[in-house]
Amino acid sequence: MKKMKIMLVDDEERYLSTTAKLIEKKGYKTLIALSGKEALGKLKTENVHVVILDVKMPGMDGNETLKAIKEQYPLVEVIMLTGHATVDSAVEGLKSGASDYLMKPVDVEDIIEKSLEAFEKRQRLEEKIRVARTKKYMRSPREILKKDDE
Amino acid sequence: MKNTELENRNSRKKLKRIILINMIIVPFLPFVLAIGVSFYNFTTELEKKTTNSLKRIIVDHREMIESFLEERKADLEFIVDTYDFNQIKSPGVMNEILRNLKNRSNAFVDLGVFDARGVHVVYSGQYKLKGKTYAGELWFKKVMTTGCYISDVFLGYRNEPHFVVAVRQESIEGAWVLRATIDTLLFDRLVSKVRMGQTGEAYILNKKGSVQTLKRSDGIRILENDPDFIKFSIPETGIQTFIQSDKLKNEYLYAATWLKEREWLLIVRQGKKDAYRSLYSALNLSLFIMVAGGGVIAALAFYMAERVLKNIDRLGMEKESLGHQLIRATQLAEIGEMSTGFAHEINNPLQIIKSEQTLIEMYLDEISADISIHRLKEMEEIRDSLDQIKLQVGRCSDITRAILKFGRKSETKPQLLSPGKIIPEIMELVNKKAQVNGIEIVSEISKEAPDFMGDPSQFQQVLLNLFNNAIDAVFEKHGSQGGVMTIAAFKGGGNRLEIRISDNGVGIKKEDIDKVFSPFFTTKPVGKGTGLGLSVCYGIIEGFGGTMVVESKEGNGTTFLIELPVCDQNLKEVNNEKDENYAG
Repeated sequence: MKKMKIMLVDDEERYLSTTAKLIEKKGYKTLIALSGKEALGKLKTENVHVVILDVKMPGMDGNETLKAIKEQYPLVEVIMLTGHATVDSAVEGLKSGASDYLMKPVDVEDIIEKSLEAFEKRQRLEEKIRVARTKKYMRSPREILKKDDE
Repeated sequence: MKNTELENRNSRKKLKRIILINMIIVPFLPFVLAIGVSFYNFTTELEKKTTNSLKRIIVDHREMIESFLEERKADLEFIVDTYDFNQIKSPGVMNEILRNLKNRSNAFVDLGVFDARGVHVVYSGQYKLKGKTYAGELWFKKVMTTGCYISDVFLGYRNEPHFVVAVRQESIEGAWVLRATIDTLLFDRLVSKVRMGQTGEAYILNKKGSVQTLKRSDGIRILENDPDFIKFSIPETGIQTFIQSDKLKNEYLYAATWLKEREWLLIVRQGKKDAYRSLYSALNLSLFIMVAGGGVIAALAFYMAERVLKNIDRLGMEKESLGHQLIRATQLAEIGEMSTGFAHEINNPLQIIKSEQTLIEMYLDEISADISIHRLKEMEEIRDSLDQIKLQVGRCSDITRAILKFGRKSETKPQLLSPGKIIPEIMELVNKKAQVNGIEIVSEISKEAPDFMGDPSQFQQVLLNLFNNAIDAVFEKHGSQGGVMTIAAFKGGGNRLEIRISDNGVGIKKEDIDKVFSPFFTTKPVGKGTGLGLSVCYGIIEGFGGTMVVESKEGNGTTFLIELPVCDQNLKEVNNEKDENYAG
């Protein structure tokens, strides 16, 4: 089984480094990005499975980043990390394709739990895609016969 | 504060004075004007009427007296035409004539015949006047020149006031004169026979002011001078009316006219008070109406001023309370905005603290295996400290969450809510907790309770908050049995839905009741409540366009009353359409 790779996106550097350390401790590969732009740059080169994305960031905010990620890397699962203890911003994220949301302040356990859920979802999705692609190239015996008749 | 109160009281007094003055003067001026004008018209008319009636009386009286005198004169002329001088001189004839005359009229006292020299030739009557010479007497001279004469009252030989009528007749033997004395008493009765009020009287003066008939009111006897005469303005012709006072300062209304070819003055007079009696009663009535009307106006003005002031006071109080509400709403909004920003900023450091704490914990777990056995106690201390940090961060995050809820101006989705449906749904959520605490829930939701517009989750938040508070309050008072919580919903006055949530818990202290809706106000122990619950409820209900008030008696329980505007039929339809669209 593939090992999950997480990217944390937030404008608080200390938070990023500490949380990254914590997640790494749990045995998952973790990347960090200080802005949405940086996150998008890193996605180009790294195969990240789950992005933990802060909603409130200077410059490109969480929702914009989410849209950009989903556009360019539709398979990347995004979990919104919201400072607002409101359902509204989370709902907006979910509508734009986020797989889940977390509320600040959040436990590392929660991050990992939700990330794993998202990762499994992505695994299932990749599996389906793989199966679909395989079907496309595999022809059924009937099809082969049909072709032969011609 | 005291100064403002004093100022308020002063300005209230001033206002009252202005209102009073306006309310008294404004109706009083036209009132007085109306009374004055009608009084003037009425009195002028009455004066004219009184004067006219006096004039009519004096004319009638003059005619009566003049015709009496004319008749007497005619009597004598008839005699001198019937008898010649010799015949009349014959014994017994004179007595016969007098008797005949007396039969016709009681006016004659005696009768006498005089020759051209003025010698009394024949006399019939009670005095002994025969043979006396009258040549020097005024009346004789007058009758000899004018042919006919009615004298003033004089004493004459008989030394008693009397007046005479004399006619002259020419004959072959020369001129002779027939003279008759008129009964002064009868004439006096005739003249004084005028009745006007209580003080009305008539009398005759000669042109020198000597009284010819009794002036009874002053007790002036015949031939005495009338003391008032000199002041008279004597009319040339016709009738003169005037007002004059006597020496006792009594005013009289006079009418005067000449009689007997401007030799006698007929006076009719009446006491002014008597003559103008109805005038005075009109004056009194006017005065009474004015005083009474003025009193009524003043009383009404006082009453109205008091009412107006009361209304002003009430409006002022309403304004003040509205002002308070506005200030409160603004304050709430400001606090909300401020604390939201604050809470949001606090969340980030909290997140970091939490992460750091977790990291420390993790490292601690790792190194605990290698730690010296002597350091185990310190390890425990560190662990305890870390737990405490974790706990306090949790507390902080609870607070920031509550603040964010309170301050958030998130989009709400109002929809038509039916109290009969949504309230029991919310009750379901607290039923269990109430049962555990031994609280009986009484639900009195009227079937007529109208629908209202609101966000269901917000409404749920409000009710849950109130229920939880109620449960806490009841538990504090009764422990786990004997608590009652009532929820009632019904159609209130003014097209409003009323929702009443009461409990029989500990109630709210009097000094706290004004603060219950203020943010961060709580009576719960530290760490148990944020003091934002009721503020949030207040804000939500206000957002629904409703009001929320609290009534409480310490030790007896608390009632929260929510009033919400009822959704009207049009809105309902629009809403239904929306729902349909949404469903489609």
